Amino acid sequence: MNIQLKQDLVVRNLSVHSREGTIVSGVSLALGQNQPLTLLGESGSGKSLVAQAIMGNLPQELKASGQISFRDADLLAETAIERRRRWGRSIGLLPQEPWLALDPTMPVGPQVAEVHRYVRGKPVGESAAAARENLAEVGLAAAGALYPFQISGGMGQRVAIAMAHAAGAELLIADEPTKGLDATLRDSVTARLRQEVDAGRLLLTITHDVAVARALGGMIGVMLDGRLIEYGPAEVLLAAAQHDYTKALLAAEPSQWQRQAQTLPGKCVVSARGLEKRYGDKTLFSGFDIDIAAGEVVSIVGPSGCGKTTIGNILLGLVKPDAGAVTRDASLSPLRFQKLYQDPPAAFAPHQTLRKGLADVARLHARDWEEIRALCARLKLQEALLDRLPGQVSGGELQRFALLRALLLEPAFLFADEATSRLDPVSQQEVVRFLLEIVAETGLAVLMVTHDRDLAEKISTRLIPVAGSGTLAEAGMAG
Amino acid sequence: MSTVEPVYQQPKPGLGPARLSGAALLVALAAFAIVGPAVISADPAAQDFGATLAPIGGDYLLGADHYGRSLLARLAHGARLSFGLAFLTMLAAAMPGVFLGLVAGWKGGWTERGLEFLATIVLALPGLMLVLLLLAFSPGNYGPLFLGLALTLWVEFYRVTKAATKGVLAQPHIEAARMLGFGSRYILLHYVLPVIAPMISTLSAFAMATAIIAVSTLSAISVGLQPPTPELGSMIVELLPYFAEAPLHVLLPATLIFLLVLGLQLLAQGERA
Repeated sequence: MNIQLKQDLVVRNLSVHSREGTIVSGVSLALGQNQPLTLLGESGSGKSLVAQAIMGNLPQELKASGQISFRDADLLAETAIERRRRWGRSIGLLPQEPWLALDPTMPVGPQVAEVHRYVRGKPVGESAAAARENLAEVGLAAAGALYPFQISGGMGQRVAIAMAHAAGAELLIADEPTKGLDATLRDSVTARLRQEVDAGRLLLTITHDVAVARALGGMIGVMLDGRLIEYGPAEVLLAAAQHDYTKALLAAEPSQWQRQAQTLPGKCVVSARGLEKRYGDKTLFSGFDIDIAAGEVVSIVGPSGCGKTTIGNILLGLVKPDAGAVTRDASLSPLRFQKLYQDPPAAFAPHQTLRKGLADVARLHARDWEEIRALCARLKLQEALLDRLPGQVSGGELQRFALLRALLLEPAFLFADEATSRLDPVSQQEVVRFLLEIVAETGLAVLMVTHDRDLAEKISTRLIPVAGSGTLAEAGMAG
Repeated sequence: MSTVEPVYQQPKPGLGPARLSGAALLVALAAFAIVGPAVISADPAAQDFGATLAPIGGDYLLGADHYGRSLLARLAHGARLSFGLAFLTMLAAAMPGVFLGLVAGWKGGWTERGLEFLATIVLALPGLMLVLLLLAFSPGNYGPLFLGLALTLWVEFYRVTKAATKGVLAQPHIEAARMLGFGSRYILLHYVLPVIAPMISTLSAFAMATAIIAVSTLSAISVGLQPPTPELGSMIVELLPYFAEAPLHVLLPATLIFLLVLGLQLLAQGERA
């Protein structure tokens, strides 16, 4: 490059050690103004540890070595107190799921004002005025009086950004800023972060979403097993990845998938007519009809909060509709209607090892343990994982265990409720691949509920878009 | 990782120093209360006016009271009574409390509302009043004392059990277990009880401490157990007029109550504090 960009944050040979060994080793990267940096990688790849080392909030038992210089200051040489003094002031963290990090008992305006009042020590009136200005900067001028539960996830993320503005943080560290957001909100948050870069702020983003990295531009680092395996300008890296893992990661984006070959639908497994659901005065949907046949993958696609999960729960009999009726194939036992949950850890008892949970299911339904072993091998789950608690395995592994558990009951219908939305792309692709294999083999009927249109288009026989306004239109899809 | 996911915390294995010292204290006191009455030959009610207010360390190891009764024997019997009564009270409060809590948490609806109403009424009645009312029927007996205390203490068990049960039952993994075909019995034994058991054991220790204090307090205001029953509270009151001559004698039963309650509190609160 001809023009040497000024690098404001330079990390050289950063390693993070625990008592058992090295978790992150030899990471070197840099970022400057107009050159944001995005770290891509699956959970457990060490990308969050790099951010924590820069921030200075590594867990006690971990030690960082190497060099982190920020504006000529060597961060690793500073004491814990000096580093803490930087938090919010020169380095700001945009937390994961900020709507959970905001104070639920206080409107967002005063929460931003507190930053001026207590972090920067301004008088009350001035703080309130400055807070209004900060909220206006992120397009939330009218939202100051709303409580966190009244705003959307994307607005919550913008409130967090307004707070970082209020504190005057030069370096923003965004940790999975789009986790749990649907595509529209994700794009608006990403656009907001891009504006921060254009306004001259330094940005380090951690994500497993390639689309976020692409939209932000700048530099991209790909992490795997604690190493930075690939590092380069976004346009180069995304167009011509060198490392196999990067290639797999890029190929795992649903938009890059092969469209699945269709199987012939069989007998109708479950159908519903004229479904209606209201919450208070609000009608979520009405007059909704759906038929799902064996061997079909039907996807309901729509933004968060449009009632698509409720439809699946009604078909399973978990929620009663306000109007309409569900008809199931009467020859099927209710046990053959199963569900995969959005948040895999929530579907397992937290204090029960996976082995005990699965053994109990096997005993209840007179299944042989050998079947579980065979399914473990098939779903590429190591048997050592069986002795762990649900919280001790990764989301992708746990979702495959959930699939395994459902398969023990030979399901005829499976409701996958955003089952892959919290997984990184590679894990998502694995789970979906296994699911589709099983559909092809056993004629399982699947109802997918998702906000990822790309994913739905690639794998489903039919797609049902749901609008946020509460109207539904069933549309057949060519294929 | 900086993920803010609700990760289940495994209970810490073993006992911490606080809980260990609480347990040790209780074991020592229990040994004194159980073994003491058996090995101490002195009758706690035998009077010896020649030994009135005998000093500590003489013929009587811990001295004698104003009637010349052995304080060592009386303390051992008193500790056994307090311990035993507290344990029975705790059981009598915990069993219906936990059971009704599970029922209310499980059934919800009218069952829960009815039980909730009952609990509110019991809470509104002054606990002392309830005990006094029952004691009026048969003064000086263990039965009404323990029944009255249990009637006021079950509400805590009920409320905690109900709240915890509802919390567990609302989680998706219960829904998942039902879809997998597991019955209520399995869910209760494997999903609900492991979560509420540690809370109930903590609450039990607190309830025993409350019962010990309540029994002593009631005796101290002369409505509980009647003399000559060696009860720690009534011992304090009986010895109080002789405080000037024998201050240590009054402090002995008070210290024993203090140690009993301290042991229970340490065991219950332990690492949480």
